[in-house]
Amino acid sequence: MRSEYIIETEDLARYYEVGGEVIKALDGVNLRVHRGEYLSIVGPSGAGKTTLFNMIGGLDRPTRGRVIIDGVDISQLDAYELAWLRCRKIGYIFQTFNLIDTLTALENVALPTIFAGVPRDEGERKAKRLLEAVGLGDRLNHKPRELSAGQQQRVAIARAMANDPAIILADEPTGNLDLHTGMEIINLLRDLNEKRGVTLISATHDLKMIGASDRVVYMRDGKIEKIEKGGQYPSIDFP
Amino acid sequence: MEEKREVGRITFSLIDAFRLGYDNVKRRFNRAALSMAAITLGIAFFSTLSLMDTFFRIYTQAEGGGLRMESYQYWLLLVSLVVCVVSITNSMLIAVYERYREIGTMKCLGALDQHVLKLFLVESIILALLGGSLGYGIGLVASIISVTFTLGFNIVLKTPPTSLLALLGETILLSVALSTVATMYPAYRAAKLDPVEALRYEV
Repeated sequence: MRSEYIIETEDLARYYEVGGEVIKALDGVNLRVHRGEYLSIVGPSGAGKTTLFNMIGGLDRPTRGRVIIDGVDISQLDAYELAWLRCRKIGYIFQTFNLIDTLTALENVALPTIFAGVPRDEGERKAKRLLEAVGLGDRLNHKPRELSAGQQQRVAIARAMANDPAIILADEPTGNLDLHTGMEIINLLRDLNEKRGVTLISATHDLKMIGASDRVVYMRDGKIEKIEKGGQYPSIDFP
Repeated sequence: MEEKREVGRITFSLIDAFRLGYDNVKRRFNRAALSMAAITLGIAFFSTLSLMDTFFRIYTQAEGGGLRMESYQYWLLLVSLVVCVVSITNSMLIAVYERYREIGTMKCLGALDQHVLKLFLVESIILALLGGSLGYGIGLVASIISVTFTLGFNIVLKTPPTSLLALLGETILLSVALSTVATMYPAYRAAKLDPVEALRYEV
């Protein structure tokens, strides 16, 4: 049975011990994300947004509670299965892009397909298509340092899509971009979400992103404060 | 009806590792050159002594007399190879440190620990092949010059090329072995890196 929710967390908690003091980065988070939803997570820094992302992405293990992705409790998965999850089911987008400096745009986008066992020429064809889709068809052989910040984030988005993931986790994707470039990235993400049905979860401070999303989750001190419908803020149109 | 837990394959073939590793060596040439210098110098010293030893043996067979390498030279060789290994380890540790984010990113994209390990070991083998060949070349030139001045160039001509080739093979093998041993710890560190930690890390 296909669950209605692509992601469910149940009483999810993650405590860290720093210098004998327990820090509750997440403290009992119950969240359900529908398939194809665009969710924004908002909160001051230290609210637990990144920790929540790391949990959903299988990068970190919870102190308490469960994360269920597509009906599978990921705490039951071993290292190999978690890597497979990160490779095939989840795409990451970071505030700092995290492209690999020594690789060209094309090679960066093709990298996840290598781990997925896609033959090289097929992976590169796909990477080329994705880069064309994000408007970088003429920048295939540029290195990240030869690209603008906005272009780098587009490469990162193409890379996140390389293995057709069900979920994209975007941690402050517009945090390092100017207003106009940030808007382009938001439109691109919204487009992916609508046209390809990718579930998009984005941690953000950006009002434009909050405006574009279906639901907004407000977090504070490792807990969900409230959940509101998105689109509360008018999106800003650019000529 | 229960949904099948679909877990597929994750791969990182040796060919892919070599391609990525070769790219890395090429594009991060300054870092690679430092690691390679350690291998090259150690191997140059080794091959100079081994070649001299070969030439001495040919001379002894042809002309008689007991020309041999001194034992202290072997001690010197041992020390130089230990220094070589330590330098490669040091250089590789710095390389891992410089590539924290890259390693973290690769793990986010689905790389397993063993893939990261493979990548670093393959890179060290590439460096060993390059550095070993270069070191042998330097050793060959150095030993020929030395022998020409002491015993005459004739000895070089009398030496069968096959024995020089065999020595090249041995040298490359030694180079790969040393480099692999030296890279084990740095590669292990890289492989075990926690991606959450690695991505938080600001270089």
